[in-house]
Amino acid sequence: MNRYHVFIMFLSVLALSGCVSHPQTAEEFRKAVPGAFSAKVETIEVDRPFSQVARTFQKMGPNCLSKTIKTTSQTNMSYQVIVTTYKPTVVVTGKKAELHVQMHHEQGVLNVSKEPEGGYYLLVADAQPVTQTKTRIDLYRPSMGHGVLIQAVKNWATGENIGCPDLTK
Amino acid sequence: MNRAMGNLLDIGRIAFIVLLICAANLLAGCFGSKTYPNTLGKNLHVHTVTDSGSWFSRVRAAIDIHRVGRDCALDYEGTVQLADSKIDIGIPPHRWSYLVFVFGSSSFLANRSGTITYETLLKARPNYHYDVAVHYRDDMYHVGIRETLPNQSTGREIEPLELSSCRSSVSRK
Repeated sequence: MNRYHVFIMFLSVLALSGCVSHPQTAEEFRKAVPGAFSAKVETIEVDRPFSQVARTFQKMGPNCLSKTIKTTSQTNMSYQVIVTTYKPTVVVTGKKAELHVQMHHEQGVLNVSKEPEGGYYLLVADAQPVTQTKTRIDLYRPSMGHGVLIQAVKNWATGENIGCPDLTK
Repeated sequence: MNRAMGNLLDIGRIAFIVLLICAANLLAGCFGSKTYPNTLGKNLHVHTVTDSGSWFSRVRAAIDIHRVGRDCALDYEGTVQLADSKIDIGIPPHRWSYLVFVFGSSSFLANRSGTITYETLLKARPNYHYDVAVHYRDDMYHVGIRETLPNQSTGREIEPLELSSCRSSVSRK
């Protein structure tokens, strides 16, 4: 994560919070994203049964996203270390699979608003069955930055090129 | 006079070399990295493909190998750099090892670096072989471990096992 990402994160926090407060739950995050400056809702439909998508979320979410990441960047005049802990939560019910991703900066970034337990909400993906073979995914996600994470979640939904995102990018 | 100067220069050279050795030891201690001895029978066959996707960045892969004690405490045994596309490693059978696959990326232009890891417990069974696929491409990584018997092509995929599962099994005893 470089300064650009930190700046985007700062903007996201401001935009999502309306300079007042940051979403404290996944439901608040869903409601805040459509009106936020640096976040958007994206809907995709995949040719894959809901149960498979849910299983992939359950497997890949914890395996790939329960991580603490350390990045360093330096110039002639500065040296910056950022330590970030990501927390995935997967909730599966009969008709819906939810993947929540939160991030908490352990070091290197100042928080400007109250942080929910587990960290700021970064992404929420809701998967719901459309037909026996099709699944719809609503992605509540940043519109700038975190492209690798977003792509990974889409891959988990489609079942193609399944891997873990390099969260240092 | 000249001899005295020569002696002084020699002492200076020796002191410089000693200082260099001390600094190297100090740095090795700071980074805490040592080469895995890799003297046991080779049962872990690691196939590595890394591609940073850019001329201006680089990705390196390595495995940190830890011995797992009875109380699940980790004892770092060493690191194997996955610089070649195929590397054979010997890990002890009959006992738990903790494998940490480390992907270190660095960007020359942005002058920044980061590491991300994939960890799993593994208890190697005697006479079994473990084919490990380590891939990093387009900022995505994948580690897959397949257990096979010698002379058999099929096997079973080993799911990653967290260290916490060892700790919870110890606390149950």
